[in-house]
Amino acid sequence: MSEDLLNIEINGQPLQARRGAMIIEAADAAGIQIPRFCYHKKLSVAANCRMCLVEVEKAPKPLPACATPVADGMKVRTRSALARDGQRSVMEFLLINHPLDCPICDQGGECELQDVAMGFGGDISRFQERKRVVKDKDIGPLIATDMTRCIHCTRCVRFGEEIAGVRELGATGRGEDMEIGTFVEKSVDSELSGNVIDLCPVGALTSKPFRYSARSWEMVQRSTIAAHDAVGSNLHVHVRRNRVMRVVPRENEDVNETWISDRDRFSYEGLYSEDRLSAPAIKRGGSWADVDWDVALDFAANGIRRVVAERGAQQLGALASPNSTLEELCLLQKLLRGMGSSNVDHRLRQADFSDQDVAPLFPWLGQSIADLELLDAVLLVGADVRKEQPLINNRLRKAALRGAGIMVVNALEPNFNYPTEAAMIVPPGDMPGVLAGIAKALGVRGGKRDKLLESAQVEPAHEAIAERLKNAGRASVLVGAFATSHPQAADLRALAGLICEAADAALGYLPAGANGAGAWLAGALPHRGPAGQMLADAGADAQAMMHDGLAGYVLLGVEPELDCWDSAAASNSLREADFVVALTAYRTSEMDEYADVLLPVSLFAETSGTFVNAEGRWQSFEAVAAPVGDARPGWRVLRVLGNLLDLEGFVYTDSQQIRDELKDKVGEARADNNAAWREPSRLDGKRSGLTRIGDVPVYAVDPVVRRGKALQGTRDACDARLGLNATVAAKLGLQQGDRARVTQEGGEVVLEVELDTRVPDDCVHVRAGVPGSVGLGPCIGEIKISKA
Amino acid sequence: MSGIRYFFKSFMLWELLTGLRLTGRYLFRKKFTVQYPEEKAPQSPRFRGLHALRRYPNGEERCIACKLCEAVCPALAITIDSHRREDGTRRTTRYDIDLTKCIFCGFCEESCPVDSIVETRIYEYHGEKRGDLLMTKEKLLEIGDKVEAQIAADRAQDAFYR
Amino acid sequence: MSEATGRKSDSLSAHAREEIDRWLERYPSDQRQSAVLAALQEVQHENGGFLTRELMDGVADYIGMPEIAVYEVASFYSMFELKPVGRHSISVCTNISCMLCGSDDILEYIEKKLGIKLGESTADGKFFLKKEEECLAACRSAPMMQVDHVYYEDLTPAKVDEILDKLE
Repeated sequence: MSEDLLNIEINGQPLQARRGAMIIEAADAAGIQIPRFCYHKKLSVAANCRMCLVEVEKAPKPLPACATPVADGMKVRTRSALARDGQRSVMEFLLINHPLDCPICDQGGECELQDVAMGFGGDISRFQERKRVVKDKDIGPLIATDMTRCIHCTRCVRFGEEIAGVRELGATGRGEDMEIGTFVEKSVDSELSGNVIDLCPVGALTSKPFRYSARSWEMVQRSTIAAHDAVGSNLHVHVRRNRVMRVVPRENEDVNETWISDRDRFSYEGLYSEDRLSAPAIKRGGSWADVDWDVALDFAANGIRRVVAERGAQQLGALASPNSTLEELCLLQKLLRGMGSSNVDHRLRQADFSDQDVAPLFPWLGQSIADLELLDAVLLVGADVRKEQPLINNRLRKAALRGAGIMVVNALEPNFNYPTEAAMIVPPGDMPGVLAGIAKALGVRGGKRDKLLESAQVEPAHEAIAERLKNAGRASVLVGAFATSHPQAADLRALAGLICEAADAALGYLPAGANGAGAWLAGALPHRGPAGQMLADAGADAQAMMHDGLAGYVLLGVEPELDCWDSAAASNSLREADFVVALTAYRTSEMDEYADVLLPVSLFAETSGTFVNAEGRWQSFEAVAAPVGDARPGWRVLRVLGNLLDLEGFVYTDSQQIRDELKDKVGEARADNNAAWREPSRLDGKRSGLTRIGDVPVYAVDPVVRRGKALQGTRDACDARLGLNATVAAKLGLQQGDRARVTQEGGEVVLEVELDTRVPDDCVHVRAGVPGSVGLGPCIGEIKISKA
Repeated sequence: MSGIRYFFKSFMLWELLTGLRLTGRYLFRKKFTVQYPEEKAPQSPRFRGLHALRRYPNGEERCIACKLCEAVCPALAITIDSHRREDGTRRTTRYDIDLTKCIFCGFCEESCPVDSIVETRIYEYHGEKRGDLLMTKEKLLEIGDKVEAQIAADRAQDAFYR
Repeated sequence: MSEATGRKSDSLSAHAREEIDRWLERYPSDQRQSAVLAALQEVQHENGGFLTRELMDGVADYIGMPEIAVYEVASFYSMFELKPVGRHSISVCTNISCMLCGSDDILEYIEKKLGIKLGESTADGKFFLKKEEECLAACRSAPMMQVDHVYYEDLTPAKVDEILDKLE
């Protein structure tokens, strides 16, 4: 190790630097400031801004610190006359064409160009000629452009190529005519595109939803955790007058590095949606009235009591969003169990619960997020990682670029931003068969397994995947959202487990929502209490609650018609119920119909709490903004409800007490995916007719995201449509643009036909979680189509 | 001896007369008392009175919502909300100055990059009820419209020094 | 025309593909983008002296580069035209050696003769006077111009007439 360290001297300060490191890295590590624009530690070195010129002893001219590797005994001076002169001259050049519009620029006050000009620039401009003007580009609803301000550092271009994996921005023209843009009218559609806003050292790329709404010095920066995916990205929320104005990443090398997904960045708009519920409301005699909290809570408690007294505790159930905090989920299950019911679940988009007894403490990634980069082979089962968990995908992409083999088993061909080695795109019913084939190719033998895999067909493609997994140094099988919502999810999990066992790979799950893992720990499950404590009598799971219909429901942050596996069943059973308490942030027309009490609860950024991410990291946060209207944090509402229902153990003064209590219970227990699957008993799954593939689009995953205006304007935001390939379309007599009647278990909608080569035979693609498919049945299941 | 002098001096109201000598002198001099409100004191072009928001000659408001005045205001008397107007420009939706907080330091005027917020020569104003001294954008623009000629002349006169 | 496959590279002719393939052979298989200059030149030549977005997209698809990377190259080099231009491309060198030997007069003469300014094409679509041509490395026999890839040196107005009138 020591021979890899070189001794250098910067500004007379002796330092050690890694061989091959650039001067700027060594200086940064020592806290010596060198001005820069194009250099970014996560991007390749471009050395095109020349701002980081420093004097190096024995070098005749100043050298760019970002592109000059350290050498043993090198003596660097960053503030000598030569270096300063170089820096001042570069600054003068950079400012030649930069407009003096700082007062209207959103970057004003947090602008690297402003800062560096103050620190290293001259105080007058000698430039008398005309400044150049560049036309602004329209690159979509998320990023605003003012291209005249651009100083051509190309950070955004390099980000697109190296991190986002889609090169959409480029530098066209040359010399004075060089412009950064897409050249053709085109939007930038990456799921990480918002990061160029942070990268841009000037005000050329700024946030469009935030545009002109506040200045950097007016806002207070507070920390929180992202509430949409299982990465749990660390965020800085910028708050002005107790209102969230924008969201930017907080660096955490282990979790989100320096990036966040667009979903985490722009979803804050949903906090201030027009249909936000601002006061408690109750339904009396069929009409709604806004009431005080006291009245509403009494009404809710009495309603719950009445259901239990008249219909029995088994007729009371609770559904919680996996984006709820650990504390909310913990109190919710406590409340239900206190009332004598174990009907509580957060697995809204899951259909197969048959292996829940042997499931691990919580379904986790099987490795740390950072370790994903080190994988040599990955099998993605029903996981469109790029859209589901954009930053996990970013780690996988790094692995793929390093040479890891990424293999896919899915029903829809995902569009990855790195090459995949194999893609088995089959109808959902054939997915278990494919996994069985891979397991058989891996030589899974013994006992029941022989019988199980007897019927499995091993195709050459299966063998290739098996081979790759087996021979890889570090392999993993990741089970995603589509596999989890599969009707044979337990079989898929089990087969994935068999594959992992045989290939010595790590089995990983991509939990749903921000707190899918935490919900297991909190005990928001019918069969387990907090910290995985086994229960003698399991309650009804989410599907059973929706299908069999209960008399009373407590909903926590859920819009069942959009968030549940079976939209039709969910709507029906809620409408039939006697009493529905909805702890919700929004008021929808559906809620007005089925609910009896609406209790406004605060959303992420407005409540304190804890999320447990995919790798089992507990991340607590404080409320950073005031809730809208009369909304209260969910845990407080549940605590008071518990008190009103005279239940034990609802005495808490802050949310940390709830967390600490749970943490004590969990103790050192770790989740172990490997021991946590049961062998499948059957391997049929061939079904006649058409199967619906109902995945949830990236910007439809939860109520907040669905209300993010800017996100809903992107190309990734899409409503339901009937996607099918040409063969299926011909069989049904449908053509592109036709209207088709789509029927599923009594529910019926009319959708537009869109030919899509990604959809396999015998299947149609009808998205779930979007308004257009509300009222249809299971998101993966039989479906009937006729011409409208 | 001094006792006697003191007795006579006090007896003849000497001190009073000494004092009245000054009064007497001023009594016959030219008066410089300004008979406000009939007469008014002269004002400098840099006079810092009531605020106004200016417009360009084409009627467009000058303010671009950069919020520098809000940031620089030592009394925190200015509150601004901004938005993106239909035509894509940055504009205020709210520009409030609380005159009860304002200390008339003129920093807002000095920080303004577009000469929008100015302090006029107007100093005679009052409020009769709560809120009368909270100047809104509409009120400020109205003042600006009313005394634009004077404001422009004052700026022109001071331009050399700025 | 090649068989339609629904891909963007359909915009390239069979001959262009052959030509690009020939260039691709010269570079390692993981450096396919090296052929982009030659490919664009070939495609531009076939298209009558200018590139369209479809053709650039076609080249990007065929070589396997991001489209924007092809746009970057095409917009960077002055030998690529991105708008329709006249059939015959005239480039008059106006760099220092040519300028000293009277290239400005030559240029003015051509402009007057054709009735167009630098960067314009004649109305009949016959000539295109290229803008800002940099040194073409024929200083020895300045002033010079390049017409359709051919150098003409030691120019005089009479010589220019002769050259241009000969063209179809």
